[in-house]
Amino acid sequence: MNNLDRRTALRRLAMGAGAAFGSAAFPGLTGAAAKSTSAAGRVASGGPKRVIFFLQNQGFDPKTCIPAGMKNSGSLAKAVLPEPIKALEPFKEKLHIINGLHGLHTSPSHSAFFGALGGYRGSDGVPPSASTIDYELSKVLPETLLPHLCIGMDSMENMVAKPTVANLSARGAGKPIFMHSNPNHLYQMLYGGISSGDIRSQHEAKSGMFDRIEQMAAAEGKSLPTADKLRFHEFVQGFNDMNGLRERLGAVSDHLEKFAPEVDEGYSQPEFETDWHDRLLDLGISALKSGTTSVLTIGSGRGEIFGAWKGLGVEEQGHNLGHMEQPDNPIWVKIRQYNSRMLVKLMEELESVPEGSGTMMDNTLIVYTSNNADRQHTSGATWPVMLLGNCNGVFKSGQFTQLDGKRPINALYSTLLNTVGVNCDRFNMSDKMAAKFDNGSGPLREILA
Amino acid sequence: MKTGRLISRSSFSLAFYLVVFVASGIGTLIRAADTYTPGEPVKGNFKNFAQGFLEKHCYECHDDLTAEADLNLLELESVDETNAAVWKSVWAQVSLQEMPPKDETQPEVIERLRFSDWIVGELQRVMKKRGGFTAHLDPKKANFLDHNLLFGELPEGIELVPTSSPARIWRITPQEHITRLNELINTEPEFDPAKPGLRAHGDVVPTNHGGELKLYFGTDRITSWVGGTVAYATAVKSVPVVLSSGRKHGLENYPHFYSVNSAEATQILGKAEDILQYMAYGPLSIVGMPEQITDDPKTYDKVKPPGDLRGLPTAITYSTKVVRPLTPVYELMKEPGFSDERLREAVDYVFEALTFRPPRREESDDYVEIVKNSIDTVGKEDGVFMGLSSIFLDRDALFRPELAMEGKPDEHGRVMLQDWELGLAVNHALRYIKPDEELRKSIVEGRMRTREDVEREVGRMLSDDSIRKPRILRFFRDFFDHDLGGYICKDTRALGETGVSNRGVAHYRAMFDATASTDRLIELVLEKDKDVLKELLTTEQVVVNNTDKTYFGRRLTEEEEKAAVERKKEEDAAIIAQVKAELKTVETDLVEVEGNLKSKDLEPKAKKALENRKRRLEADRKRLERERKSKRSDINVRVAEVELDGPPIYARVGRRSFGRGSMTPERKLATVPEGERLGILTHPAWLVSHSDAMDNHAIHRGIWIRERLLGGGIPDVPITVDAQLPDEPQNTLRERMRVTREKYCWTCHEKMDPLGLPFEMYNHAGLFRTTEKGEPVDTSGEIIDSGDPGLDGPVANAIEMIEKLAESERVEQVFVRHAFRFWMGRNETLHDAPVLQAAHKAYRDGGGSMKALITSLVTSDAFLYRKVNRGEVTAN
Repeated sequence: MNNLDRRTALRRLAMGAGAAFGSAAFPGLTGAAAKSTSAAGRVASGGPKRVIFFLQNQGFDPKTCIPAGMKNSGSLAKAVLPEPIKALEPFKEKLHIINGLHGLHTSPSHSAFFGALGGYRGSDGVPPSASTIDYELSKVLPETLLPHLCIGMDSMENMVAKPTVANLSARGAGKPIFMHSNPNHLYQMLYGGISSGDIRSQHEAKSGMFDRIEQMAAAEGKSLPTADKLRFHEFVQGFNDMNGLRERLGAVSDHLEKFAPEVDEGYSQPEFETDWHDRLLDLGISALKSGTTSVLTIGSGRGEIFGAWKGLGVEEQGHNLGHMEQPDNPIWVKIRQYNSRMLVKLMEELESVPEGSGTMMDNTLIVYTSNNADRQHTSGATWPVMLLGNCNGVFKSGQFTQLDGKRPINALYSTLLNTVGVNCDRFNMSDKMAAKFDNGSGPLREILA
Repeated sequence: MKTGRLISRSSFSLAFYLVVFVASGIGTLIRAADTYTPGEPVKGNFKNFAQGFLEKHCYECHDDLTAEADLNLLELESVDETNAAVWKSVWAQVSLQEMPPKDETQPEVIERLRFSDWIVGELQRVMKKRGGFTAHLDPKKANFLDHNLLFGELPEGIELVPTSSPARIWRITPQEHITRLNELINTEPEFDPAKPGLRAHGDVVPTNHGGELKLYFGTDRITSWVGGTVAYATAVKSVPVVLSSGRKHGLENYPHFYSVNSAEATQILGKAEDILQYMAYGPLSIVGMPEQITDDPKTYDKVKPPGDLRGLPTAITYSTKVVRPLTPVYELMKEPGFSDERLREAVDYVFEALTFRPPRREESDDYVEIVKNSIDTVGKEDGVFMGLSSIFLDRDALFRPELAMEGKPDEHGRVMLQDWELGLAVNHALRYIKPDEELRKSIVEGRMRTREDVEREVGRMLSDDSIRKPRILRFFRDFFDHDLGGYICKDTRALGETGVSNRGVAHYRAMFDATASTDRLIELVLEKDKDVLKELLTTEQVVVNNTDKTYFGRRLTEEEEKAAVERKKEEDAAIIAQVKAELKTVETDLVEVEGNLKSKDLEPKAKKALENRKRRLEADRKRLERERKSKRSDINVRVAEVELDGPPIYARVGRRSFGRGSMTPERKLATVPEGERLGILTHPAWLVSHSDAMDNHAIHRGIWIRERLLGGGIPDVPITVDAQLPDEPQNTLRERMRVTREKYCWTCHEKMDPLGLPFEMYNHAGLFRTTEKGEPVDTSGEIIDSGDPGLDGPVANAIEMIEKLAESERVEQVFVRHAFRFWMGRNETLHDAPVLQAAHKAYRDGGGSMKALITSLVTSDAFLYRKVNRGEVTAN
């Protein structure tokens, strides 16, 4: 297939994939093109079509989210949300606060790293031992152009010096997935084709280079024995995928243009790290709204025990933040309020896009938690989680659930997989481990409607 | 069920014989007189070939009437995608000579081989578009080929052809990749003959204390940092491994295992720009402020940002001394603008650094053009880095080609590798970095074209310790699997019960240290190069660090533990009493001094003396108060620690990667406690690598002995089997393994369990023990049906078993088979029998010499020749 043919085909593919979201997500695409893909067909009726994981580092103290006086499971209707998550008050009916999952087996003190989303032992400098839930979901949710996007928020110095790091998500054992932390790079990747100026130039230069190395690789593959050809094809296909993503995004550039955030000074001349955090969030939201991605993983603190929020007036940064008690601590109130505002923004933006008979948010689940369970130095005996969104009644919401600490975070992840049509009694947990760490099996009934 | 399947055995027999008689009687005669060339396509289909074998050897027990093991082979017809699993099972059982059962008439050797080949051929054919069939290429199945055929006499009628390996490309491993990239940005120390254990240039970039493989930027220039280990780890720039590989037991890298996917390619490209910028600017490319580059960190203190810098790039200062390699990339970027000459130098340098060979002119032109185009679009600064990063994705930067494109095939379709392909194959047999100058010169001057050329270069490299040869150590890691202990996630409580520390990551760090120690022990055995395998299996030497006094210790019995607890209580009480007494004295003295200080008649000199004394007493009081709370007897109430002393030695750990948390190379060469340990298989590194979260893994240990030492094969676990031991914490592993003794399971488990259970003399952290659950531990086992009658029989414990195995010639031959697989990158076939026999002879004649074994292998036809199909390439 020559380049022109391939591009035409890609354009068609892009149109088809975009159509998986229906005409609401891709308003320009209607009619015959707007049919479900097989992946979309796999999703259980009413289950999420997209999932967002938001992991704040240094722990999530349950006292900062459970309404005062609430000891037992019950409705949040009459409860008043604590100060740190007060911004979620108008969204209480979408909120489910869950306390009492555990992560004892993940070694979460100083972060469980990949183990937070993988449900296995993780530690500083330990490679992932299996895939993580966000990646697994991205494989089965309705097909998108970029099924899984990870963004990481950190101090400005770290985001500049190390714009991509991998600590939280993985495709499998020893296969980390990198988070994007420089919004300029991410913008270029998502919207290079519709941008101008430097971003456009960079995009064009990269596209030209990618095309050329794909051609060279394809030529090198021609002289291979048949058996190796298949394997090498995967390599060449890799370029095809990379170039294809650009081209697929390019093919729907008219559509993307409607969602691309405006490039302002916050990108090129940020005053604080939070300027970049905000822009990264904007880009994540735009990728969800445009239907480019179905799973967004946000690592605030990038899965480590550092991070800075000077833009919020928090002068202290890094490790000491984790040594502080979080409840009633003005610093942690500010950070958690900032997170809550981000969650609100995510929900409001997704509510603004019609989908089916409702909005995108009706088909979205947000999982908010920490990669450190409840605190920096923790055993992981309790691992608070907030779910936002009920996905057309699939998940319970508007309530607080206190579990008995006998089921691991893996149970939450297997629940999520079940809601998207994957039968899964346990996620990344052998029966032998389960005998020690899980007194149940299958989905968490307490969170499903 | 398909029509026609339900015919009884007797009616089938009649039909079958009629068909054979009428249609292929003559053919059968011809085939019997024919010679058999292993691996060649077997003519015939199910009806006229395979069904005859089944009828003769299988239906007796597996028909619709008997259906042993619930298997009715009368239902089995031509190979197709739906019955592929059953046919695969038939293939395994017949190849492994499990079926027909020993007490039944056995097929002739050629009959069995031909049937096995036919099944493989058919499975390959029908599975072509469904992921293919490659089980026979898997190293786990390599022992399916009868050992006695490889090392014994072949029956008449088998015709071997000169061997070769397929033309192929071979993706580099994650460790090779990181080590290759490391060469671009870090200068590693040269080999120091006085400290041969220290990591040197040419050794691999090792995993860090957490078992993660990472490329670190500029740690050799760090002069100061803020914070502890974790802060350091975050502040230092590093890149985790991007290429993936399944970290499983056994040989980890055959050419057909891996490719590079789009996620990996994207990440390689992203990291390439970081590497290139570091090549150009050094630490300046990774710091937050230029003042961080200073030989006097105090100067940075004056300007550094306020607040807690832990975990930030700004927490680190780097010396001004340039220690990274200064390359043409640096030359290209140090001045504004660029010339074509400088650009090409940079391209050619990066290309050779990544592919290990100079680019051909057209390749160089291509990349120069890419860089120029990038510069035209985004300017020199970004354009150079972007353009050069494309070389990181060149095919030959990620795959090693052995395509033998030049040269005329001989009558067997084989072409000998030559020049760069041969030079790089030889280099890769031993090394992870590019060829040294001498080898490069030989390649360039046309002196890498013959077997003698290879022998010369291999001999030269093997005899020079300063030329590091990490691939040899990699073989032993793949063979022994002693490097997995740190990755076995332990249940905290179960780990604590073994007697070792279960706090934090102490155990995992101990395991990564143990891996490095075992590696070093292997190197010491290789240095002597005498009876290498036997020595590794039976050495009493051990490389240790301080934690090994526990890991090589003995777990106390319950009675001993109770007594130790009592003794500790008494000692603690005595210590506390003594501390309290001292504290009382200090406090009394303090009151007295304070009283004296109140005196108005004190001379200034006397007052000063009293004040000094008061300060000292106050310090003593503080110390004693601390000791009252924390000073306790150091009696280990769970383990009889062992004294492991000996000359100092070094283990080859990475250089500083984690500040104060880095692994340290200091070790001792000690002797293991007599009667408790013998050789690597009794070391915690190996034992824990073959354990699980809660307990020993006697089955894995048994499989290891069966496959790696006895050359036996184990069929895959049938999918109908629920491979679980009962959860009975009150019972020993041996008791829980009673379920494997059920008839259906025991056929396979008798090959593994009795070989793994002798290791019950150690607990799952590798500590020696005499009791288990309060009773004397049962360490008995048995070698059953090993293939060497002299070996078979009961053994009292692991040590007795190891002593027997270490004396066996068969075990030595099986070791040679594994070395063959590692260096050829494929399973052996019958055609390789002469190569294997020669390699074993070389090993024996050399007195158990690994060098002789490697030399024999890499000068063999299997290593030097590639089977090519010129027609196929032309058609492509």
